[in-house]
Amino acid sequence: MPAPVRTLDTSGRLCPFPIVETAKAVRVLDEGAVLLVISTDAGIATDMPMWCKATRNEHLGTFRDGASWKSFVRKRAR
Amino acid sequence: MRKQGKAIAMISGGLDSTLALALVRRQGIEVKAVNFYTGFCITETQRRKGGRADGSVPRNEALRAAADLEVDIEYVDISGAEYLDMLVHPKYGYGANANPCVDCRVFMMRKAKEIMEAEGADFVFTGEVLGQRPKSQRRDTLRIIERDSGLDGRLLRPLSAKLLPPTLPELEGIVDRELLEAVSGRSRHRQMELAKELGVVDWPQPAGGCCYLTDESFAKKFFDVLDSREAAGEERRIVPEDVVLLSTGRHFRLSPRAKLVVGRSEVENALLEHHVPGRARLEAKDVLGPIALVEGEPTWEERMLAARIVARYGKGKDASRVAVEWREGELVETYEVEPERDEARVEALRI
Repeated sequence: MPAPVRTLDTSGRLCPFPIVETAKAVRVLDEGAVLLVISTDAGIATDMPMWCKATRNEHLGTFRDGASWKSFVRKRAR
Repeated sequence: MRKQGKAIAMISGGLDSTLALALVRRQGIEVKAVNFYTGFCITETQRRKGGRADGSVPRNEALRAAADLEVDIEYVDISGAEYLDMLVHPKYGYGANANPCVDCRVFMMRKAKEIMEAEGADFVFTGEVLGQRPKSQRRDTLRIIERDSGLDGRLLRPLSAKLLPPTLPELEGIVDRELLEAVSGRSRHRQMELAKELGVVDWPQPAGGCCYLTDESFAKKFFDVLDSREAAGEERRIVPEDVVLLSTGRHFRLSPRAKLVVGRSEVENALLEHHVPGRARLEAKDVLGPIALVEGEPTWEERMLAARIVARYGKGKDASRVAVEWREGELVETYEVEPERDEARVEALRI
């Protein structure tokens, strides 16, 4: 995975807040930059790809890492 | 040539709002979808508790609908004090349970109007269908929602548009009324046809609400909180922590000043552990059993009763005595009690 420019830890926050926080973080990111989102809500595995598709950002992958999930998102170029 | 417009879509991800989204999108109108987080969504709560009984994790349908139609989506958290105050004092009253649907719609549309203005959009639209719901989707209440939200003329219901007066975006030529629908009532026949026509293939089954406020047993617990606060001389109100606890565990009303909540599963026990501050925590010692919380100011008799009920829901329910630990801040006590055997009494206390 490409190196993220920022890591957003949403551990302990429940659906839909990991996505709400992701949206806020991506808004201030440079185009093409990668964000790593850490979440303990299992819903992220389905939510993140859907959110990326809806907002036309690139979902690079979501992986389980012990009790949490790691999602890599690349901000779209407009 | 039609004027290029922009719209705010209120979507739940159900079939109707997905179809409304598709109907507006196919007119080439730019759409931003919003989904409101109220804290009362049953599906979301199921996800928080680790999924359904069969182990599957329900999808977030609003996200799924936005993703299918490639529409930008924003979540708006409205679960704060202002929303809770509306639930306790609804201007237009409740439906069959604790659901003030008309007031809730007005509340959401007001927020949608703010978003419409901030986004420079021309109108707001929803998946509402005339006559589909007994309270909030009658002709008169659809009009009330439009008027009270301040969205006068700028609230479009694409599925029933041809049965309603033309809205401003239709009059201004942003939306082609001819391409909208004339659906009414509870039958979903036309929606099924439309799904085929518009290429919508995925929507949640079964149809219907996902709101705890329309649930009868939730409503009992909701009104119990209000009534007991009033009986204890307090203001009728709901706070965010109540909302989490109302959908967790078995609830027993010990007195207007004391309530017992008993976990029903490991996930619920873990959830209750997060709400120990300000409450008493009960758990059987030496035998497996649920975590329970007592809130309020129980008398000695009510403490004993709570301990007996907690013992009754654990593995020691057939024992003659069970030690129940009562932990309240720094205070830790152990009560030796006989598990409550009077089922009628337990049921009478059940909320």
